[in-house]
Amino acid sequence: MAQCVQSVQEFIQDSFVPMVAVLCSEDAERVTRKNSLSFPELLRPFCRLTSEGHLRDPNNQVVVVKGLRISVTGINTRPPQTPEMHRLLSQAVSVCQPPEGSPANVITAGDYDLNISDRTVKASVPWYSDWKETLTQLSSSKYYTATTPWFETYRENFLQSMPASEHEFLNHYLACMLVVSSCEAVPTEQFLKLSQEQHRIQHSGEYTHPKWFIPNTLKYYVLLHDISEGDEQRADSVYEDMKQRYGTQGCYLLKINSRSGSTGADEQMPDPWSQYLHKTSIHNPVKSAVSNAVENNIDGPLVFADDNETHPLQLDQPTDAGYPSNNASQSVNNVDMTRPQKQASVTSHTTPTPRGTCLTLNDHDHIRQFIQEFTFRGLLPHIEKNIRQLNDQLVSRKGLSRSLFSATKKLFGGGKVPEKSIAELKNTAGLLYPSEAPELQIRKMADLCFLVQHYELAYNCYHTAKKDFLSDQAMLYAAGALEMAAVAAFLQSGAPRPYPAHYMDTAIQTYRDVCKNMLLAERCCLLSAEILKSQTKYSDAATLLIKMTSEDSDLRSALLLEQAAHCFINMRGPMVRKFAFHMILAGHRFSKAGQKRHALRCYCQALQVYKGKGWALAEDHINFTIGRQSFTLRQPDNAVAAFRHILINDSKQSAVQQTAFLREYLYVYKVRNTHRLLLRLTGMYSTSCIMEALTLFSTGEKQAATHVSLDQEFDRDLSPLWRELEERVVAVVNRGAVPITFQPSQCCLNSQTDNLRYPLAVVEEPIIVEVVFRNPLKIPLALSALCLLWKFTPKDFSDPQGNTAGETITNEKASLKETMALNDIIDTQVIPEFTISPEETKVARLKLLPHKTGELHVLGVVYNLGTGEVDNSEGSLAEDLMCVRGQQNLEIQGPRLNMTKEEKTSVTYGPDHRLDPIITPLMPLLEVFFINFPTGLLCGEIRKAWVEFVNVSAVPLTGLRVASTHPEFFTFGSAASDLTPCILLLIHLFSFCILRN
Amino acid sequence: AEICITSMDNYPLYIRSIPTQGELKFHYTVHTSLDVVEEKISGVGKALADQRELYLGLLYPTEDYKVYGYVTNSKVKFVIVVDSSNTSLRDNEIRSMFRKLHNSFTDVMCNPFYNPGDPIQSKAFDSIVSTMMVQAC
Repeated sequence: MAQCVQSVQEFIQDSFVPMVAVLCSEDAERVTRKNSLSFPELLRPFCRLTSEGHLRDPNNQVVVVKGLRISVTGINTRPPQTPEMHRLLSQAVSVCQPPEGSPANVITAGDYDLNISDRTVKASVPWYSDWKETLTQLSSSKYYTATTPWFETYRENFLQSMPASEHEFLNHYLACMLVVSSCEAVPTEQFLKLSQEQHRIQHSGEYTHPKWFIPNTLKYYVLLHDISEGDEQRADSVYEDMKQRYGTQGCYLLKINSRSGSTGADEQMPDPWSQYLHKTSIHNPVKSAVSNAVENNIDGPLVFADDNETHPLQLDQPTDAGYPSNNASQSVNNVDMTRPQKQASVTSHTTPTPRGTCLTLNDHDHIRQFIQEFTFRGLLPHIEKNIRQLNDQLVSRKGLSRSLFSATKKLFGGGKVPEKSIAELKNTAGLLYPSEAPELQIRKMADLCFLVQHYELAYNCYHTAKKDFLSDQAMLYAAGALEMAAVAAFLQSGAPRPYPAHYMDTAIQTYRDVCKNMLLAERCCLLSAEILKSQTKYSDAATLLIKMTSEDSDLRSALLLEQAAHCFINMRGPMVRKFAFHMILAGHRFSKAGQKRHALRCYCQALQVYKGKGWALAEDHINFTIGRQSFTLRQPDNAVAAFRHILINDSKQSAVQQTAFLREYLYVYKVRNTHRLLLRLTGMYSTSCIMEALTLFSTGEKQAATHVSLDQEFDRDLSPLWRELEERVVAVVNRGAVPITFQPSQCCLNSQTDNLRYPLAVVEEPIIVEVVFRNPLKIPLALSALCLLWKFTPKDFSDPQGNTAGETITNEKASLKETMALNDIIDTQVIPEFTISPEETKVARLKLLPHKTGELHVLGVVYNLGTGEVDNSEGSLAEDLMCVRGQQNLEIQGPRLNMTKEEKTSVTYGPDHRLDPIITPLMPLLEVFFINFPTGLLCGEIRKAWVEFVNVSAVPLTGLRVASTHPEFFTFGSAASDLTPCILLLIHLFSFCILRN
Repeated sequence: AEICITSMDNYPLYIRSIPTQGELKFHYTVHTSLDVVEEKISGVGKALADQRELYLGLLYPTEDYKVYGYVTNSKVKFVIVVDSSNTSLRDNEIRSMFRKLHNSFTDVMCNPFYNPGDPIQSKAFDSIVSTMMVQAC
């Protein structure tokens, strides 16, 4: 389970708080409405007490109540119906997303570094301010630094929307505040009316909800005084009267609204409601009309204006027989049937109107004081009194009847019927007690003790209650008692007994299997998991959470699985793979629950574990899901990256699967609709480049006299031979000395040749680049419109300075029209169709024909990629649909340098310029053919062969010379008359070798 | 049923499963089970080092499958997944299967042309695994 912001104790205490109902008169509601708040909402930010409270337990021991929170809600608030609740919970979860771009949280687990990006609480604490605390925190929480705020939101909302159940009293109303405005004509009368109303709701039996803790509910009379409007003296006198009537501890005069309207609105006021009311809209959907109006007000004034004045307290849902509603009285007002429709349209929040505009900081203090007064003078003494009463009852019963009853029970044997409940219905969960049954008194007392943090007494009571219920076979009640006994045992300070985890397990099992109440089981599970987590029993917590996942709720299962995954990673020996696996399961459930963003996050986190570890199938599956999810979430970049991953590696998927992947990829890519992308589908592993390639073919007896050919393997032995020969010729021409600048000419460059220099190419002569494509997939790929990408800087070499004569141009982003124009500078050959069969390696030869001099850089190849199965019948339309423009940059790594010591100790690579030819001005181009050249000779045989020299270039050729390694084998015949005496000829023939042998 | 061999660093060296349509599920199962294997190794590490017990026994049962594990001295992990319904395979059979697998794995390792860490591509090994799979299914 991930780290939570709240501590466990805080979390559990906040899950079970004393509930207080509010019944408001119309006028009082109007007073609070000025602040765009209902009365319960007005109080909400101040409901946590800052000071300690005290009360005495039945043994006259003082119990200290720390950090108590009370929950104040309207009397007609009711938990949402199940489908409604599901919707709200899922909304709450989807709203809560990890902030994007927050500092990533890296968890190191074994040899894995997991990057769990979410809010880091610890990191936000400034190092210097609390260094000691931070240190201890850091040292104690070595592993778990990941928080999952969406889970906490879910949990909080879930716990708050729990419907009140028969078998426990924790969320039954303990007290009721009756609120009347001081400007009412006769406030006392109004109080009387409200009091009767409350009595009616609780005792008339008309309503099954809300539920009340004790028959004589504490009534607290609040006189609300609007300072800006009302007459203060009158309010005071009414208050005096109230004191007489209800006692000083049973009433209060609350003065608010010191500021009239929005006069001082420019003053900066803290808005404590913002965090609460935002939540309210989520987990308190059934609001009184007032809070509803507040929400409407937030969204747009038009809905707000019409009916808030007339119906201060209305239900916005169709009437439910169980709930107090309209026809009763004014204060519990009319149901407005139009409301639900309006409500439905109100979903998105715009900028909220400021709340509490009429309140000054003094007023805030007043409210805070009021809550304190209410709790310490009203609520706690009330609870104390009731605990005493219940205790007295129990003691008296224990003394006499307890033993008697058990004796009679034993006597009568099997008929295990609790007193007064003979006629009780028996359901699957065992029997149900009436609400005032004596059996429940002990549970009631336990709950009261629990609420005032007297955990020891609470535990004892729960424990006794549990035994009673079990002997009665009242399973639901027993499970409830077990659950709370475990929680109380955990919360006891000093921990006299270890946390009874098996109680919880039994409770969960009973809730789920016997009572079929998933909500209660889930609550129990959430509590237990949190407790186990705090005791670092992660593996138990994980088991618990995983057990709770089921088919009926995807959202719950997803969240619990995710928490279980976090548990695995927090274990002392982190189980990374289990983490990943459960993350995937969680992601799957999230996506089923429609939480796409969370699903994507889960999959991404899981991918970190699977990535690059050779688990190809799993990795592909995750990548595919990520791709799809990203696509639906409009993150095409991520989608493309994920899909590319599937295709780029040596995929082990079947051909059918690959086709599907490719289709999806192409589709996503198409939608993404940008042209710049490297499609590294095809692994390029060698590039050969021929400069001034001689397009010569051996036809008939004419044989091209060249060793330059793409088909020929590079021969390491031969190349020095050619080089030497060339050197000698140059030496002869230069009268015996080789110039220092001499460089042997190279016409074909590949990975084995010396590519340190920029090769020379001649204008109007083709440059051929050979690129090797490999198709790693099991499906054919159809590339079309394959051509080279280049960058060209024109230069005029006749100018001695060699100045740049123009801007650098490229065909990288050229449109069709521009391409035509660019073809005048460098003619780029386009291969219309290039199909690569599955897993084939195929060579493409791409030609460039420069028309200008300058510096050329071959950058890469571009092509259209299709699936390769486009049939001709459908024509170009289908091809258009399933084709994307891809680009493959040619990046050539030079040879590894190994000369100096520095180079030997580090890995450095030399430059490689084979793709950066310099285009020189026009030169003569000689074509040489042998005619009737012998392929085999006898020893001593003499044969005649013809040599044909053709200058195909426009520039005249002079000074032709012929060199040979073996001049003794050659002689020029008599027909040499038309040859000028001084000919420079470089005939480099491999046939020489044959001759020599 | 599935047989899987992973290297020291948990890279898969050899995975084979029949029927092939549920392959992804098998892979996930095996991958997740490696956590249990690692836990077992680190847990018993010293105590069992002398006894040289390489067989780890049942790693965990799921609803449909049983997962067994085996670790060589060089921390190469063997995992066998079999159907839960298959009752003919008891602990002893599984143990002997692992032993056989280990022997043929050693043969593969002895091949001078095999580069440790590469996926295993050996016909002899394939055929041995195939016979075991037939037995297991």
